[in-house]
Amino acid sequence: MQNLLTRKRRELELEVEEELRLHIDFLLRDNIQRGMSPEAARTATLKRFGNFDRVRNECVEICRRSCPLQRAFKICLILLALTGLIVRIVSIDRHVAHIGVTLIAIAIAGRLLLYVRSLTPSRFLQKNKPTSLSLF
Amino acid sequence: MAKERTDLMQGTLELLILKTLERESLHGYGIVQRIHETVEDLLKVEDGSLYPALYRMQERGWIKSEWGVSENNRRARFYKLTRAGQKQLERERANWERVSKAISRILQTA
Repeated sequence: MQNLLTRKRRELELEVEEELRLHIDFLLRDNIQRGMSPEAARTATLKRFGNFDRVRNECVEICRRSCPLQRAFKICLILLALTGLIVRIVSIDRHVAHIGVTLIAIAIAGRLLLYVRSLTPSRFLQKNKPTSLSLF
Repeated sequence: MAKERTDLMQGTLELLILKTLERESLHGYGIVQRIHETVEDLLKVEDGSLYPALYRMQERGWIKSEWGVSENNRRARFYKLTRAGQKQLERERANWERVSKAISRILQTA
């Protein structure tokens, strides 16, 4: 499961990186065509673009957030928590009430898992992944 | 004399993107170039900030994207305005006009 999630994230990252790199290449090309030296063009490009890693991570996070699977999972967690709450409130039997509490706990744990995953930068999940921008 | 450049007001970038995509679908660099050409460097737009805005707008259904081929034969993601985006553009344009009219009135009376 972790491998699947990591692979999915990596695919997203590669797509976002491809798009951002194209932008940087266009910008670099235009700066050189304006008569800048390669080094000056590189500096100007990076300055105008801003922080590549931050932009990439932000884009990947937005993609992940809007992923239908993740949305469905969030809805399931809400339904699970509501079911647990109803079971907990209406049940008279102590054992059934425990099931309700367990459902609520599972829903909270799932939500926490999503939250922690959203905070975890991909570089901690990946090995040999380039994390900085290289031009030329 | 060097031109003064103003930081883009929060939320304005989305309006600029919507307006830029109103006529044709463009890739990210095309959008930024079009904005820079129009505002003639009067506004400070960091290119990287465009992409999170584009992704958020796509998440909201205002724009959609598809991969195509750029002018230099490289794979590029092209963005296009949706019907919801068109409506959002009209709302944001009306809102901008209201705000700028209100500010102008205040400045004139001061």
